[in-house]
Amino acid sequence: MFFNLVRNELQKTWRSRWIVFAVMGVIFLLIAGGLYTYYVVTVGRWSPPAAVAWQTTVRADIANNQQELNSLEQIKQQGDGPQGGGQFGLDDAIAQVQQQINDDQYLLDHDIAPVQSFSITLAALFALGGIVMFLLVRIFGWLASEQIAGERSDRTIAILLSRPMSRDQLLLAKAVASFLISLAVVVVTFLIVYAIWAFVTGSVGPLTAQVGIAVDGSKPLAGNNLVVMSIPLFVLMCLGGAMLGVLCVQGMSLLVSAVFGRWAAIGITLAVLFGAPLVSTVVGGIIFAISQNPNKAHFLNYLFVNVLAPVSALTPVFGNGSAGPSGTGMNEFGFQIATLAVWTVAFFLAAWLIFHRKQEAG
Amino acid sequence: MPAIVEVEGLSKKFGRVRALNQISLSVAEGEVFGFLGPNGAGKTTTIRILLGLQRADGGTARIGGFDSWTEHSKAARLFGATLEQPALYGFLSGRENLRLFARTLGPVDEKQITELLDTVGMTERANDKVKRYSMGMRQRLALAQAMLGKPRLLILDEPTNGLDPNGIHGLRILLRKLATEQGLTIFFSSHLLSEVEELCDRVVVLHRGEVKAAGELSELMNFKGFQYRIDVSDVDKAIDVVRSVNGATAERGTIKDSITVTADMDLGRIINHALVAAGIGVDQLVHMRRGLEDVYIDLTGVVPGSPLSASAGGPPPAPSPIGRN
Repeated sequence: MFFNLVRNELQKTWRSRWIVFAVMGVIFLLIAGGLYTYYVVTVGRWSPPAAVAWQTTVRADIANNQQELNSLEQIKQQGDGPQGGGQFGLDDAIAQVQQQINDDQYLLDHDIAPVQSFSITLAALFALGGIVMFLLVRIFGWLASEQIAGERSDRTIAILLSRPMSRDQLLLAKAVASFLISLAVVVVTFLIVYAIWAFVTGSVGPLTAQVGIAVDGSKPLAGNNLVVMSIPLFVLMCLGGAMLGVLCVQGMSLLVSAVFGRWAAIGITLAVLFGAPLVSTVVGGIIFAISQNPNKAHFLNYLFVNVLAPVSALTPVFGNGSAGPSGTGMNEFGFQIATLAVWTVAFFLAAWLIFHRKQEAG
Repeated sequence: MPAIVEVEGLSKKFGRVRALNQISLSVAEGEVFGFLGPNGAGKTTTIRILLGLQRADGGTARIGGFDSWTEHSKAARLFGATLEQPALYGFLSGRENLRLFARTLGPVDEKQITELLDTVGMTERANDKVKRYSMGMRQRLALAQAMLGKPRLLILDEPTNGLDPNGIHGLRILLRKLATEQGLTIFFSSHLLSEVEELCDRVVVLHRGEVKAAGELSELMNFKGFQYRIDVSDVDKAIDVVRSVNGATAERGTIKDSITVTADMDLGRIINHALVAAGIGVDQLVHMRRGLEDVYIDLTGVVPGSPLSASAGGPPPAPSPIGRN
């Protein structure tokens, strides 16, 4: 019976919103095609570049950072740059670059690949976090916001609720169907991005090697401040983090959906999902302007909309740089996962409470 | 026959508006039951409570002995329902809609779906998307949806909405057939009095959230007595003679040389005898059956189809002396 209900929900979403998935597919094709064209035009070849070992990349990073360090030291000796111990003073910039060199050297010495070394880990960071998940999460939010609200607007909710099943079953079936659809889309997206990265790096890369991630990205990589894990575990962790973000949004959307009609539910959900990051960016900017300390705005991360793609907290995707203002590393990832988990439970609980008691006009 | 629908002291308020005020009714198994009342009378609210969509503030609503809210899953196994506006998925075909709703009851019985499509005359258009259906076709498909799973009770809220006269006639025949051949109980809510009059065994008239009358249709239509039109040779003398008969009143008729007589009981023969004995020629005595419309107007003060019927306005009439559950 429950399987039948989930099947119904999958059928309804697919048949009523297949165009959304088709558009997403076309966008992916266009992006992949555009990137490939750009590659062909700029590099002048049709085939992927030769693969580069991660050690070579890290050594090149060290060499680049060493050059940057030298120029910063020169500037300091000439007395051209800002002096002193301010937040963004020359000394801090020098210390930061020095730490990057030390971190890279530590990884080389201990034969631990940085997390960005392989196409599959890059794909996990890029497809399961960052801008890709930012957009996907909002599409999933929109679809989930229609789950009950759409039925209410079409009056089919009355027929469904008059059927011999509990409201809990119906709500759970809708949540499970939404989750399964989003899981399928996220996995396909991940595979497409992986294919792109495999082309760009010239290698599908190892799938069973190990990668290192900082526990606290703002501190030197050494000793206790480093977690080493296998690639499959890392990918699963990223997938889990991404799907928790999706689940959280779906919980919020179902809560909105349990109360309003179709267009109100879609409007409110998208307004929250797009508006809240905007508001927190403005608030963060104001806090920074007043305090001149970016870490003062860090608490904004825990207003759930900022942590919907917690994978982004693991490490900056491009480069081995130290922590940004919002912090990176496993600790930050853990905090964001915990935050998301609390929000997710709260949203689903509220959605269940409301839907359970909701008087439907039919 | 045991009651399949039992409503006892049902009350429901929306804010300050009292939609239902202690209404009680029961529907016996196999009965075709008419649920009448002007818009805003509380019919749809009662149906929503029966379907488990809304919770009553007071009283109980039971189907097959199961509370429609607290034992919804068990009660819902016994009935199928259609709503005022057919609730279907426009992006699916008629057959896919039936399959989808059938899955909410258990394994899909393709044979039953095909039979139901045939029963409601939708076989030819079964594979077209519902968004391309006319209102009448949607109503018919909604009826097929209600009959999925072979329920014992059909709750139909204004099922003739959007149907043309042929469609209404077809629906009436179909419902009668379902009631007589399959023993289905039909809870038929409608504002079309002629439909209820022709289809239903028993009716409840609801007005402003209160039951104004309930009972057998024949009983209800005569509850204010008997009425005769008598064509006579001398109208004035005939009126005097009839008024002398205990329990009868008479007035000049609308047709020339006729009088209209109203009586509490069937006094046709006595009046005829009195007129003849008084030397008045009686050309014919017609027993005038009161229509449901007359009763409805008496009970609700609302003329069906008038602007008042939409707003349920007008002074609340006094409760009828019979059949108050």
